[in-house]
Amino acid sequence: MAAATAGVLALGLGLTACGDDDESPSGGGGGGDESAEIRVWVNGADTPDAARDWLKTTFEDQNPGSTLTIEEQEWEGLVERLTTALSSESETPDVVEIGNTQAPTFTTAGAFADLTDDLGDLGGDDLLPGFVDGATVDGATYAVPYYAGSKYVFYRKDLFEAAGLSVPTNMDEFVQTAIDLKKANPEPASFSGFWFPGQDWRNGVAFVWDAGGDLATDEGGEWQGALSTPESIAGLETVQTLMTEASGAPKDGNEADPQAPFCAGEIGMMAAPSWVTGLIEDPETGCPDMMANVGVFALPGSDGGPAPVLLGGSDIAVAAKSANQDLAKEVVALMVSDEYQTLMAEAGLTPAKESLAGLLGDDEFAQAAILAGSNAKLTPASPGWAQVEGSRVLEDLFVEIAKGGDVAELAAAADEAITEQLN
Amino acid sequence: MAATRSLPAGLPAATPERRPRPPRRRGPLLPYVLVVPAVVALGLALGYPVLRQVQLSLQEFGLAQQFGAPAEWVGLDNYRELLGQAYLWKVVVRSLVFCVVNAGLTLVIGMGVALLMTRMSKPVRLLAQTGLLLAWAMPVLAALTVWQWLFDTQYGIVNWLLTRLGGDYEGHSWLLEPLSFFFVATVIVVWMSVPFVAFTGYAALTQVSEDLVEAAELDGANGWQRLRHIVLPSIRPVLLVVGLLEIIWGLRVFTQIYVLQEAGGVTRETNLLGTHIYRLGIAGGDFGTAAAVAIFMLALTVVLTAPYVRTMLRQEELDELEGTAR
Repeated sequence: MAAATAGVLALGLGLTACGDDDESPSGGGGGGDESAEIRVWVNGADTPDAARDWLKTTFEDQNPGSTLTIEEQEWEGLVERLTTALSSESETPDVVEIGNTQAPTFTTAGAFADLTDDLGDLGGDDLLPGFVDGATVDGATYAVPYYAGSKYVFYRKDLFEAAGLSVPTNMDEFVQTAIDLKKANPEPASFSGFWFPGQDWRNGVAFVWDAGGDLATDEGGEWQGALSTPESIAGLETVQTLMTEASGAPKDGNEADPQAPFCAGEIGMMAAPSWVTGLIEDPETGCPDMMANVGVFALPGSDGGPAPVLLGGSDIAVAAKSANQDLAKEVVALMVSDEYQTLMAEAGLTPAKESLAGLLGDDEFAQAAILAGSNAKLTPASPGWAQVEGSRVLEDLFVEIAKGGDVAELAAAADEAITEQLN
Repeated sequence: MAATRSLPAGLPAATPERRPRPPRRRGPLLPYVLVVPAVVALGLALGYPVLRQVQLSLQEFGLAQQFGAPAEWVGLDNYRELLGQAYLWKVVVRSLVFCVVNAGLTLVIGMGVALLMTRMSKPVRLLAQTGLLLAWAMPVLAALTVWQWLFDTQYGIVNWLLTRLGGDYEGHSWLLEPLSFFFVATVIVVWMSVPFVAFTGYAALTQVSEDLVEAAELDGANGWQRLRHIVLPSIRPVLLVVGLLEIIWGLRVFTQIYVLQEAGGVTRETNLLGTHIYRLGIAGGDFGTAAAVAIFMLALTVVLTAPYVRTMLRQEELDELEGTAR
């Protein structure tokens, strides 16, 4: 009995390793069938329906006999799902969307097909350079940008007016505005001057960078956690001030579904991706009436310019184990084409090509998006970074900070964990 | 099953001089032929993953290897590195405590419900059984979503109720402190496993000889004495099996902890063995070390359940003896 049940237990855990034995010779332009069923993974609700429909119709028109299926994945747990799916020849999707900061994990592991020779056809130098660099290893490029979209700040114009506040122009003003806004709205207790749930390190890192700190630095080939430098600690203290004095969000909550508390009238300001506008406008998920009171601005930095926020966005790549390399590359070409990217821009996403930036328009939202993206930064370019994210050491750090812990002590402990995982 | 069965069979072989005593009747070949498919299926479904796991635990196996790079053999390095980590031992102790508390609570509450069911009128019992069955049949993730909302910091009904009752629970986070986190996890895990114990226990209780209980009652034994000396010993074999299963389940609990960690709490302070392995392996891409922890966990399970299995075997042998004596 013990052996049997223990075996079952090991079976569950052993699944991780399945599929690594297939020594497939695929990758690098292996042709595949004339017609095939192509599976494309896109994540979350970011890709608008119009773009999905266009992609399916256009691809199937151009390749009679082939079909294209779009399978929507959750952002949550995506790296885990890709790790298992991409390593199996029979299970792998052909084309995948992946968060730009998650891409290096897979490019260095050889999970994606080499797109270097196709770069010219896909857009070449016109493709957003930060994204191409992030997906390039030893001169070979394994993914191309899909869209960009750094977070900017949504705020309630009516609440600003009622409290006599104006849009902040630098970091100190921003923090003060957030605190004042919270004070001006004592009810409900969960009201946030600036909504900052404890797990939201992707937002928190902007304050660390703005203060001159970093998550980790490359010290001559050895990666070192850098959260306990004086600059980083100053940034983390700003985070603590905001979390304890300006935010009413759960101290251990995550940043999913910001439209829910926003529509419940519990948020004065929040940092969110541009497509959250769509969720607020949607009568099912949001509160269209509220839109009249919504304003946006790029998070201001200490120097008055835009703060260095996390460069948000997605890449697309071809799975190395896909049997339909040529068709998959055609899909990628369609997804970065001007027509497709125009549809993305109409949904508020910054297009993958610099020449298309004008498509966003020039309203308040477009200006905030462009400004926020102009000073955006990436997570450390270490192949071990996925381990840091996987162990949730950063979520833990920011939750402990939200609880009111000693910042210097917590940062030192986090550095130790990060350094160990990166090397 | 295979391992425990081979134990008694191995004994006579080791002491051949005793062998002639009970003259064994040679059975026909058919039963063995019939059992072959099951053994082959077990060997493939369980044997291969275990062997692969052992192999992985001796390799430096990361994401690059997952996508086809050759894996390097590192001998016992993964184990050496692990056993030196204070964190692993913390997780082990945490897992053991969680397992014992949950298995114990589930057994006590489950058997309590089973005893209660024997006293219920038929309609009430049907109602209770339906409720238990629904709790048991509910998909884990669906149940967890409901539980998560019940204990939600901002919109949870638990906070709302406690605030109404005069407590200061507005915006109280149930997952923030590890102890409170494990309290919620325990409530959920126990809620999910009680139906199994209750049903199995109830089935066993219906088999207890009524004559025996009645005789004890006539002899002046009170309720507690009847339970302690007549009922519980009669259902001992069932209790043993259920207890064994509960311990194994308690040790390998994963989904509940994983989902709660995503919802809140501090991951590092709430990892149990299951989530620790997952975060090392699938999430972190360090499959070699994760496999080593998994093997360690397997060993722990075997050690923890060995006394149970021994007792169960002895029970079976006793039953066999009784059977031949009759």
